[in-house]
Amino acid sequence: MVWQQEHRLSYQDYLEKYRAIVYLFIGLFLFLSLRLFHLQVIRGKHYRTVSEQQRTQIILERAPRGVIYDYKGKVIVGNKTSFVALFYPFSQEMSPPQETIKCLKNILPDKNLAARLTQGWRSGQVVRLAQDLGREEMFRLQEQRLMLPGISVIREARRDYRSPEVNAHLVGYLSEISKKELERMGHDGYRSGDWVGRTGLEQLYDSALRGQDGGWQIEVDAYGRQTRLVRHISSTIGNSLHTTIDARLQEVAARALKESPTGRGAVVGIDPRSGAIRVLVSMPGFDPNVSFQPEFAGYMNDNSLPMFNRAVQALYPPGSTFKIITFAGALSENKVNIKHSYTCNGKYTFGNKTFKCWEKKGHGTVSLSQALARSCNVYFYQLGLRTGPDILQQLARKFQLGQITGLDVLSEKAGLVPDTEWKQKKMHESWHPGDTINMAIGQGPLWVTPLQMASLISAVANRGTMYQLHIVDSIVSPAGETVYSFQTRKKAEVKLSEYVWQALASAMEDAVCSGTARACYFPDLQVAGKTGTAQNPHGRDHAWFVSYAPAVNPELALAVIVENGGSGGGVAVPIARRIYEAAFNINTGGAIKADAGAWEEGVEKPLAGDNVEVSTTPAAAGKRQQ
Amino acid sequence: MQRQGEEKTLLHRFAENLDWLLMLSFAFLLATGIMAIYSATLHYGNPGKFFATQLAAVAIGIAGLVFFTSLNYQIFRPPTYIIYGFSSAILMSVLLFGSTVRGTKGWFNLGYFSFQPVEIAKLLFILALAGYLDKHWRDIRRWTKLVAPLALLLGQVGLILMQPDFSSTLVYFPVTLILLYVIGAESLYLLALIFFGAIAVGIPLLATFFKLQPALLTAHPVLKYLVAATHGGLPAVLILAGIVAALFILWWFLRQMRIHVPFVTFAVVAGIIVAGSASSAVVQKSLKDYQRKRLIVFLNPDIDPLGSGYNIIQSKIAIGSGRFLGKGLFSGTQSQLGFLPEQHTDFVFSVIGEETGFFFTELAIMAYFILVWRAMVVAREARDRFGSLVATGIAAMFAFYAVINIGMVMGLMPATGLPLPLLSYGGSNMTSSLWAIGILLSVHIRRFTH
Repeated sequence: MVWQQEHRLSYQDYLEKYRAIVYLFIGLFLFLSLRLFHLQVIRGKHYRTVSEQQRTQIILERAPRGVIYDYKGKVIVGNKTSFVALFYPFSQEMSPPQETIKCLKNILPDKNLAARLTQGWRSGQVVRLAQDLGREEMFRLQEQRLMLPGISVIREARRDYRSPEVNAHLVGYLSEISKKELERMGHDGYRSGDWVGRTGLEQLYDSALRGQDGGWQIEVDAYGRQTRLVRHISSTIGNSLHTTIDARLQEVAARALKESPTGRGAVVGIDPRSGAIRVLVSMPGFDPNVSFQPEFAGYMNDNSLPMFNRAVQALYPPGSTFKIITFAGALSENKVNIKHSYTCNGKYTFGNKTFKCWEKKGHGTVSLSQALARSCNVYFYQLGLRTGPDILQQLARKFQLGQITGLDVLSEKAGLVPDTEWKQKKMHESWHPGDTINMAIGQGPLWVTPLQMASLISAVANRGTMYQLHIVDSIVSPAGETVYSFQTRKKAEVKLSEYVWQALASAMEDAVCSGTARACYFPDLQVAGKTGTAQNPHGRDHAWFVSYAPAVNPELALAVIVENGGSGGGVAVPIARRIYEAAFNINTGGAIKADAGAWEEGVEKPLAGDNVEVSTTPAAAGKRQQ
Repeated sequence: MQRQGEEKTLLHRFAENLDWLLMLSFAFLLATGIMAIYSATLHYGNPGKFFATQLAAVAIGIAGLVFFTSLNYQIFRPPTYIIYGFSSAILMSVLLFGSTVRGTKGWFNLGYFSFQPVEIAKLLFILALAGYLDKHWRDIRRWTKLVAPLALLLGQVGLILMQPDFSSTLVYFPVTLILLYVIGAESLYLLALIFFGAIAVGIPLLATFFKLQPALLTAHPVLKYLVAATHGGLPAVLILAGIVAALFILWWFLRQMRIHVPFVTFAVVAGIIVAGSASSAVVQKSLKDYQRKRLIVFLNPDIDPLGSGYNIIQSKIAIGSGRFLGKGLFSGTQSQLGFLPEQHTDFVFSVIGEETGFFFTELAIMAYFILVWRAMVVAREARDRFGSLVATGIAAMFAFYAVINIGMVMGLMPATGLPLPLLSYGGSNMTSSLWAIGILLSVHIRRFTH
């Protein structure tokens, strides 16, 4: 009797159960022991033989990643075969023989070879000796294979980035998985040494693009020679991405940006009918093909920031392109009549400050429409004051400025649309009319990304309907099954009256026909757009041009910016021109139909006081000849 | 006046009353584990680190062991719900604040080391369940009284599954069932539960097994239909209806033959089959890809010889090639050449098997058995029901960990990722195992009336 406060009988009951459980445990352990006996004593000899003679090693065959296509089916990122030299250890000696190392050094020039070879020997792990072997190296390795036990050459798929600089920011690059990442993702099939995507589509869709690794199981005899291939499992390529991008336009845009005065900037092109991104270029770019070479680190130290995706991460003041919003806001809230004219004589005085127009002599008397086409600052200063900051801010936000667009890229910037509250909080000052004047022409603490401006002009092209922007249309498995398909959907709507849209469209068409965007005029294609020359405190002005074509039933909306490029009309518009030429198959032989010297906008300095150098080339007044 | 033999010193009494067999087996396992880990990590690049970490875990564990031994286990009896609540709290907090390792949010990363709260929750559950059962043992024969313990079980298991950590929940089920059995629950009800579980888990297993043999399926269309039915939908409903109908006919037929089977029995059996099948559909759907793969590979390791199948194939080769005397310490070719993955954790038993052979490996199995057996003896000699329950729970925990891990390593069970207590590398498991032994010793040394 052991339980001290219980009835004898309940303890007896317990004893019975106790015995049953002990028998259960005896049974389980007996079962284990029998199995152990079976494995080690009965079949022991067999397993010993297997373990000694048939030592197998696994050589992984890395799967090629899925192909990335543009919307016409052209390959943007593919794969190519390369040869890799592997070493797998076979014996238990502590270091490889000297002859082997010497022979190897003759063929493969690599100082760390000996160290890696020894490490591989010690750890018993397969070691990569060299990648991208040339044919000659490969043959020599084969020739000398008796001197090089344990070394073999296998084929592998390597990423092949077509037009690397052009598409670099769109697609991203690859690098080896880090230890921390491995800990986090090891379960999902990531192995040490795997390549993962960094930035761009490679990173965002990494799990879809990854294929399934295969491998060889090789039998090795007691002398370390490969006796036979036990089995080979083929790798499976990853899913392919079908994007909305137009690869040809990417090239045109990239080349145009490269040839611009500073070689820095971005182009974003959207199909307004669906929100599909046709062009996403940021310059300067980088070469993802060399991401595993030491020179890749050089990109990080480059002052022109080639790794920076200006299209979605750079924030610029919109400059005169913002006049679109001032125009539309004022007109739709009846703060101005379409026929209202104002005289611009080059200056505008408000309070004790003088704000200047970039056209020193002034535009003369201009209507609302003309003011937009010729980008008259003075007109818009007074328009801005009549309209008031709230209307401008609200309309800007309706066009989704100050927010991310939700495009399937990584890390977009949201930018800023300042308002009274913001100014109070951040600058501890209240809103001045001077701030409204700045805002009316897109200056001041107003920040946008090229992507946002493209989205805006695409919305204008669509008379207010904003579709969800997207780059990837569908993801298809190697077997041909569509694993994912994007459904076009409306994201937002800017409701303005038909009247306002029409007025805006006409004014922007005029800008191209006879205004600041004349460099983009085509006789057979009506383009509509707005230039901008955004003043920036750190250097020369940024050149902007937002546009769409054709003016009726638009198919392409573009936002072009050349960082520190100077005049919008002079620098950004020709880039858009080249893109439209390519997109609509127009051949103008490169000649720009505008008259001598493009119509340039000069420096805009809304905060008056100082006399600023206005660097414009005198442009002939009047319209271009038909 | 001397009273010979009556005034024994505290130390003397302690030494006399200690279960030396228990201590010996546990010390043996501990020592074996440390040697095995050293051997397994010899070629890892920094073997000293693993060795040292494990020793540190042992030190912390032993400190805890001494603490729990001195603590009177009976203080765990009254606050059943507090213990359960605390256990649930730490399981919930790891879901909120924990780090994700290998797809499971089950670790607290405290800088230099990390630990798994589920290891502590395990012990707390045994204490809470034992406490509950001790308070309610009188009516435990009624099936309504089983609801609460099962609710406690599912509550903990649910929290663990949210991490998601499927393997750690495995041990909870046999421990609960054994405790219920020992406390006197009606065996029939327990059998019903086991039957239910068998259906819920067995159907996906069988379905997976048959799906691996498409030739067999095409040859037997009926089988094919059955396998398709496991995915639910109309075929499933039809088959279940058919089974229920068949059972009904059987019952009715038996009735006609004057063999009186109460309707309730038929209803319950039919109910279990239906509920079990429904649950099996849930299990089937919630099986993650890698778990499905483990099942498949267990049934047919050659299917993925370069991946999950590789482990089991290599493990059997390693163990078998040890033969009777082993290949010698630190000389196992499979482990030293890195053929055995996870050899310092899940597959540490394979390292022992390869290097020491049947002679010593069998000793290790026996040491485990002795540990479990002595734990049961502690249960038998405990001074109260609560002590017996706690000790039985701990015995069951060790037993099933050992069986599951050693079984897997020898190809008898699918891979589960469960470590081998006292042997595998793993700080959390080591400390919780040592603390469990501490609680066991606490029950043991207080067995006399004082």
